[in-house]
Amino acid sequence: MNSHHLPLRPHRFEGGIHPADGKAYTTSGTIRIPPLLDKYQLVIQQNIGVSPLLKVKKGDTVKKGQQIADPVGNISVPLHAPTSGTVGDIHDISGANGAPVPAVEIIADGKDEWCEPMECYSDWKNTNRELLLARVKDAGIVGMGGASFPTHVKLSPPPEREIDTLVINGAECEPYLTADDHLMREQADRIIAGAGICAKILKISHVLIGVEENKPEAIRALRTAAKGQKDIVIVPLKVRYPQGGEKQLIYALTGRKVLAGGLPMDVGCEVQNVATLAAIAEAAVEGRPLIERVVTVTGSPVVDPGNYLVRLGTPVRKVLEWAGGIKKEVRKLILGGPMMGFAQSSLDVTVSKNTSGILLLGADEVRQFEAGPCLSCGRCVEACPMRLLVSTLSKVCENERYDLADENYVMNCLECGICTYVCPAGRPNVQHFRRAKAEIRALKRRK
Amino acid sequence: MTILFAALALALLGLILGGLIGFTAKKFAVETDPRIEEITNLLPGANCGGCGYAGCADYARAIVEDGVSPANCAAATEENFQKIMAAAGQEAAKRERKVAVVYCSGDNRHAVHVALYNGLNDCRAAAALSGAGKGCRFGCIGLGSCARNCPFGAIEIRDGLAIVHAELCKGCGKCTEVCPRKLIHLVPAESKVHVFCNSLDKGPDKRKICTAGCLACRKCVKAYPELFNAQGFLVRARDGAAITAEQVAEVKCPTGALQTVDSHANPGKRKEGAA
Amino acid sequence: MPSNEWLTITVGAVLVNNIVLSRIMGICPFLGVSKKIKTALGMGGAVIFVMGIASLVTSCLYHWLLSVKLNFTIGSLKVENLDLSFTRILVFIVVIAALVQMVEILLQKFSPMLYGALGIYLPLITTNCAVLGAAQLNAESNRGILPSTVYGLCSGLGFALALILFASLRERLELSRIPKAFQGTSIALITAGILALAFMGFSGLVK
Repeated sequence: MNSHHLPLRPHRFEGGIHPADGKAYTTSGTIRIPPLLDKYQLVIQQNIGVSPLLKVKKGDTVKKGQQIADPVGNISVPLHAPTSGTVGDIHDISGANGAPVPAVEIIADGKDEWCEPMECYSDWKNTNRELLLARVKDAGIVGMGGASFPTHVKLSPPPEREIDTLVINGAECEPYLTADDHLMREQADRIIAGAGICAKILKISHVLIGVEENKPEAIRALRTAAKGQKDIVIVPLKVRYPQGGEKQLIYALTGRKVLAGGLPMDVGCEVQNVATLAAIAEAAVEGRPLIERVVTVTGSPVVDPGNYLVRLGTPVRKVLEWAGGIKKEVRKLILGGPMMGFAQSSLDVTVSKNTSGILLLGADEVRQFEAGPCLSCGRCVEACPMRLLVSTLSKVCENERYDLADENYVMNCLECGICTYVCPAGRPNVQHFRRAKAEIRALKRRK
Repeated sequence: MTILFAALALALLGLILGGLIGFTAKKFAVETDPRIEEITNLLPGANCGGCGYAGCADYARAIVEDGVSPANCAAATEENFQKIMAAAGQEAAKRERKVAVVYCSGDNRHAVHVALYNGLNDCRAAAALSGAGKGCRFGCIGLGSCARNCPFGAIEIRDGLAIVHAELCKGCGKCTEVCPRKLIHLVPAESKVHVFCNSLDKGPDKRKICTAGCLACRKCVKAYPELFNAQGFLVRARDGAAITAEQVAEVKCPTGALQTVDSHANPGKRKEGAA
Repeated sequence: MPSNEWLTITVGAVLVNNIVLSRIMGICPFLGVSKKIKTALGMGGAVIFVMGIASLVTSCLYHWLLSVKLNFTIGSLKVENLDLSFTRILVFIVVIAALVQMVEILLQKFSPMLYGALGIYLPLITTNCAVLGAAQLNAESNRGILPSTVYGLCSGLGFALALILFASLRERLELSRIPKAFQGTSIALITAGILALAFMGFSGLVK
């Protein structure tokens, strides 16, 4: 494969839509640094896979960045204290998906003192790749685009798989969110360094960064940062949801198609989100673990929407206070973007490694409706970026025929939300598919 | 005359064919145990799967061939159960009748709604979000997945709360499997009094979101320590404790979480002091 | 027999005078075993087999015993011109029933899988009017033994076709919202009626 063949024009993936983007609320301004809180509620499991094991107990003193939970097995990452202070209660709080999850309370002492720092690999180009990979794990880095899959696992593909291209997702196709946009504008150097580190770990050189055209400043900043590095190519992409879907992005940038049930590594690609890269660079070059992330606080009811560098474990309630509070009735609170995020019923849910946004929607923006029968109009089928037979699947799942759902490739659904968005009958398709996927996974585990 | 021959001819035909069938049946006979069919007929035939087998016929085969105890079938009537035991040639054993109990009394009058739910009419789907609007994350979601999954129609959703009609419940446990909050339990049919709350939240937190939750005030534990057992912020009746309705009335649970199975199933009769 | 005669028998039995949808015979298994395409296939196969054999055996009986005048002597009794054709239905039904019973026993012995799949429906073929109907129609049209067998096989094929079509319709129906009063057999019967209407389109192709 000629890895240096550059696409003249990005490919156009099939399906997709143009939802109202709502990014104007937060495009301007810079990333704001909020004040320190007096306590943080840190959810212990912030990664997909195995939950790390807490190694502190109530009353212990911790320093900022100190490892407070050890990973268990390979598909697991450690957890670090967001500030210095003492360990408070360890109890269940509501997680982003509603179920109670164990969390640890860190009561801040106000000093915000760093612990003994990890070694800084400022000269990462001449650092052993094993050391860099170990650092990615030790810093607790997971996919920050939303999947929260441990990054070190993704960066160590099986040796028989040949990876030739690192695909960087800077598309941020999700409406309302601008966290990645701001990160690219302000921390382009870190992102480029992170891309270099990942490429070194994967022993490749070819890096493609896809950014949607509606972020010209981000594209400019990245191009400036990557000046002189021929292997790193920044590709402006058409604005189209879900341009940042893993498989859509690979197709847009390389023209390679990941088959049903396949992984990006099947076509020699590896996808990383820009926020993850920034965190990797910070961990390797500055020796800091992942304890904070950029979160977009937005929506029409928010008084002063913007992007905040939020410590993990911060309750949503506090973040909204920093943004000036609420100016009108809120009908919906979503963690993440409007298309793929999770609606919440409580302000006590906390920011975790994959919280890219906090979105409030007013009463005039949310519709309450009864799901009607499928009209077989085919809009969902036309728009589905995974080319699934959504209308059939929807009916199948409604009747709990999960065997048929599996036969109709429901497992390939990326839960982008398009089918629910376009459905004139207001059918909760994605909710059906999430449920079907969970049932099928449970069934396979039992076998 | 013709009619005589016709009759004779048909009789002859019948004789020949009968002989032929008899011959094939003997020659190619397949051994099956007649008890399997007998027991299959005695089982309730709901194919609920509560026994862990694919259906009643499969379970009957297991009882006869593998000597599995028929006691796993909770749905068979006592009379049929004894007949099955006799047919299977197994020692008479006592079988405990169990019924399902929903450990929640947070119906729409008592539970506080913190959100509007607009989505799939299924508890498991709603549980993957933050539930269906009720503030309590331990209590009944009330979308009726258990009721739809009950092969005997014993569960009713009344006012946003699942209610078990004990007289219809056969104790198969299908409802316990589908409840995402795991608040339906199988209990011996004799135990008629329970604390109908599943929340592990602290008392004051609970009070904010539900007026029918167990506040762990321990009034009942203090009055009858041998009957009740406090586990953190939740009181449970001790296993096998025989509690009478009079004792419940005497304790005067401040929220009404401690109540009889009957009053849970008929909330109209519940004392209004509850709220 | 000219080749177009064979075509008439085949097309007539499978499509034009479809035993289920045009002659309305064998409705019981048509409704009972049509919930899944898989069982419909098994049932269809069984019916083709049984109808073929039953047509062969009954037409042999018809041609050699029932439609001819019998002359024989038993001892001193001399019988002439004995016509037993009026016992046709009785003979046919006894023969078919015995035949299916034997097929059932053999199936249980040699193919327990198929036996399990057909379950209680195999005995249903015993008194299935479609099988008897095919035999009767053969006798009525006075077909030869070979055309009768072909007719029986093709009628079975027509039955299988209708059954599989209907089963796939019902698999779709299972995913549809149907008013409570119409759920189950009622909607199935309505669908069967519409399917029969569709098959009316073939009428007139052969007589």
